[in-house]
Amino acid sequence: MLPKDRPDNPQDDPPEGFLRIDFDRGRPDPTFNSHVGALYAKRGEKGTRDEFVLGFRVQSHMCNPAGGLHGGMMMTVADLLGTMGAGALAGIAKFLPTVNMTFDFVAPAKIGDWVEGRPELVRATRSLLFTNIYLTVGEQKILRASAIAKIPSGDGLAFARARLDRGAGGRDAEIAAERPPA
Amino acid sequence: MFTPPESSPRSPSDQSPESAPEIPSGFHALTDVSGFAAANGPWFEKIENGRAIRGFRPGPQHANALGIVHGGMLAAFLDSAMGTAVWHALGRRAVTLRLSLDYLGPGRLGDWLQAEGEVIGHDEHVAQVRGRLYGRRHEVLAGLGAFALLSRARTFETRS
Repeated sequence: MLPKDRPDNPQDDPPEGFLRIDFDRGRPDPTFNSHVGALYAKRGEKGTRDEFVLGFRVQSHMCNPAGGLHGGMMMTVADLLGTMGAGALAGIAKFLPTVNMTFDFVAPAKIGDWVEGRPELVRATRSLLFTNIYLTVGEQKILRASAIAKIPSGDGLAFARARLDRGAGGRDAEIAAERPPA
Repeated sequence: MFTPPESSPRSPSDQSPESAPEIPSGFHALTDVSGFAAANGPWFEKIENGRAIRGFRPGPQHANALGIVHGGMLAAFLDSAMGTAVWHALGRRAVTLRLSLDYLGPGRLGDWLQAEGEVIGHDEHVAQVRGRLYGRRHEVLAGLGAFALLSRARTFETRS
């Protein structure tokens, strides 16, 4: 049994507005983002703090032996915010490879906490995206990160795009294009 | 100093997905792991001249949308190797305060990847550690980190 299927884990129970991200879209082998998740996203009004938010409920398979959220999980989510999140803010639908990430581990989080992460686009050049990232539990910042991602020239590299899962019959939209109804 | 990675070219058969994933000699699987490390393992370790080298062979569950190893997995693995370096150099458990990572090259699925750390300075509270993660032929990730040293009285493992 995978740790994430253990019955003693809390329900994800995401706050309103968060949709589960379908990273693999029906492919049989889950990739890392699915394997460590589940991860959720919320798209808010353009230009606001909530324009792009990732969220997840801390489960035992995301923790270290002391029962706290593992730094590797924090870094994984921050990495996504510096690439997929920053790309969504900048309107870029290419795969953006990470060039550098710097993390400050400000505070711990524990099993059952709902963690949110937000990217702030610092600057976009033709070839690079500079992003600041915070992960928070409620009002408490737990991780401060800064990221540099490369914008590939041309169409970039072919990759498997993630989608927000709206459930059966729901509209299927790519994350970069996903906006709440006006 | 760091040991350079093996530079011998691999035969084509090494890259066949059908070939059994072999573990290089001297490495043993880390047991007594739980949570994130267990879910994303197995991770292996070898002690050489009093220093720890960690290794793993990435599979599909470690991939990103491009089909190479996810940057978060690489970060987690190097972080674990750097934290272990503190334990072997100073005999103190440590938690990561700060980590800066430069992504130098892709980590490919099926390749054996190794990571190690070197304590380059410390006082009573914080250790500075340099780390690298590499494949047989190329560097993947370079790291520099600050690790908070836990009290000697605290014996539990806080990160694996």
